[in-house]
Amino acid sequence: MSESSAASRGMTIARWVIYALVALTVVLPYFVVFPTLKYKVSPESAKLFDKVNSLKPGAHVMIAFDYDPASSAELDPMGRAILLHCFKKGLIPVVMTHWSSGLDNDRKILAETAARAQEDMKRQEPFVSGRDYVFLGFRPGYSNLVLNMGENLKGSFDKDFYGQPTAAMSALQGVSQLKDLDLVIDLAAGASVEVWIAFGSDRFHFPLGVGSVAVQAPNIYPYLQSGQVCGLLGGLRGAADYEQLVDANGAAMRSMWSQSLAHVLIIGLILFANARMLLARYRRTGKATG
Amino acid sequence: MSDAPAKSRNLKSSIEMGVVALLVVVFMVVSLFAQFIVQDAGRHFHFTWGADPRKSIGIIIAAGLTLVMYSFLYRDNAFFKVAENLYVGVALGYTMIMACWRQALRPDVYETLFYAPTAAAFWNAALHRAMPILLGILLITRLSRKYGWLSRYSYAIMVGWGAGVTIPLTVNSFLFQQLYASVAPFQDAVAPHAAMTAFSGAWFMNIGLPVLGAVVVMVGTVAVLFYFFFSIEHKGAGGAVSWLGILFLMVAFGASFGYTVMGRISLLIGRINFLLNDWLRIST
Repeated sequence: MSESSAASRGMTIARWVIYALVALTVVLPYFVVFPTLKYKVSPESAKLFDKVNSLKPGAHVMIAFDYDPASSAELDPMGRAILLHCFKKGLIPVVMTHWSSGLDNDRKILAETAARAQEDMKRQEPFVSGRDYVFLGFRPGYSNLVLNMGENLKGSFDKDFYGQPTAAMSALQGVSQLKDLDLVIDLAAGASVEVWIAFGSDRFHFPLGVGSVAVQAPNIYPYLQSGQVCGLLGGLRGAADYEQLVDANGAAMRSMWSQSLAHVLIIGLILFANARMLLARYRRTGKATG
Repeated sequence: MSDAPAKSRNLKSSIEMGVVALLVVVFMVVSLFAQFIVQDAGRHFHFTWGADPRKSIGIIIAAGLTLVMYSFLYRDNAFFKVAENLYVGVALGYTMIMACWRQALRPDVYETLFYAPTAAAFWNAALHRAMPILLGILLITRLSRKYGWLSRYSYAIMVGWGAGVTIPLTVNSFLFQQLYASVAPFQDAVAPHAAMTAFSGAWFMNIGLPVLGAVVVMVGTVAVLFYFFFSIEHKGAGGAVSWLGILFLMVAFGASFGYTVMGRISLLIGRINFLLNDWLRIST
């Protein structure tokens, strides 16, 4: 009884030690200046960047912010970096979401990135909604909405988020269906990627890129290999890749030291725990045979 | 003698309450200093509401809730429960208002019907919306035992239409397209132009490696499926295939676990970013 209680107490202390170590490794890079972390951009991130970069000014890029604030740590930096790339290249971002709970966050990101792009480009004129970009907002329907947009995009969103009618919107000239868009990028925290693939790109034939939370990124690789997805940003690392490619120096790049140190710690803890388990097993078998 | 554990528990509880009260005071003081106290050139501290006091108050509440959420790491507690329920309630309320009312019912039903500019516009809107509105209302009858059967018409349409649209599209995207991608490298390998450049560097990169990958995928798929096939005892050759299936599963789980760790650490980084930059205003 007392042995089990002691073991339980030992486990509790180990749990708190692990929490403290993880917190320390994440916080440390905010207070200690580390050298710039150089790393190679992953091929799947480079593919998405190349696709956006190959578009001509005036091309339409739909970005679906299909997440809510719970996933903003990973997907906000992706959204900001892609939007910045679009603004700097003269592309027209068309932003929408399937997640109503992310609407205000999406609006904020779009407005802040437009302001940052204006500052970076030393542009006198601000980027204007309806002319330089479009924020369609949210409509319910999910897969049905994608099908509707495939048939009639302006009918699905007859007004944008700010109440402007989309029919005569200069930013949407030449766009009446999904296939008129030059690229669609889904920033996904849930199952929206599968919806965009099955009901969108495979049905209406337009290129689809994906930015995904790390947890579901491994599920996207088969679509990348089959060509159903033209590029993939996986988790914070994917966001950092894109920030590096567009020279954005955003939140993801700044977080890479924290991420790397935490990974090293977790690998170390896994090795330590396995070594301890093997040692205990060796001792037990030693006792049994001896 | 039997009162000793109870006394120990009471003491522990009192200490915990004291620590919680202290932490609340520390949190308020730190929040006040970080958000509303500024230092002037003469190194004097002044209280100021700042440019956007509502945002500052929002940040303090968000920081407090973040810390309360992390208090679960110590153990489950009443503050955590309050924050947890608050999160669910706010998310539900926000979604109901934004998704149901502001983005669907108000523009598509209320404004279109009750603020129609002309009689013709009203009748046109009513004609197009009558059936969806009726089907929506029928769904609500589910709440009644007597009239609940009426909701079956709506469900029947939803399920029938959903299956009709979804099955062909998903079978195409997730079965046929994936199957094609799996065999495409073999098709490329037997194409006439592939034979011309066989075993060159370009052939190895464009044909050899994809074929090797396709073989690995095929072997892995069969081995994993066999691992879950229990009609034959996994012994001898069957055991070897099953063992290979486990290996493939472990590699897949490992990749998934690695990405999951990255995702969870990213969430922690996001919160630390918020606490340091937005709440404490420590420029990093």
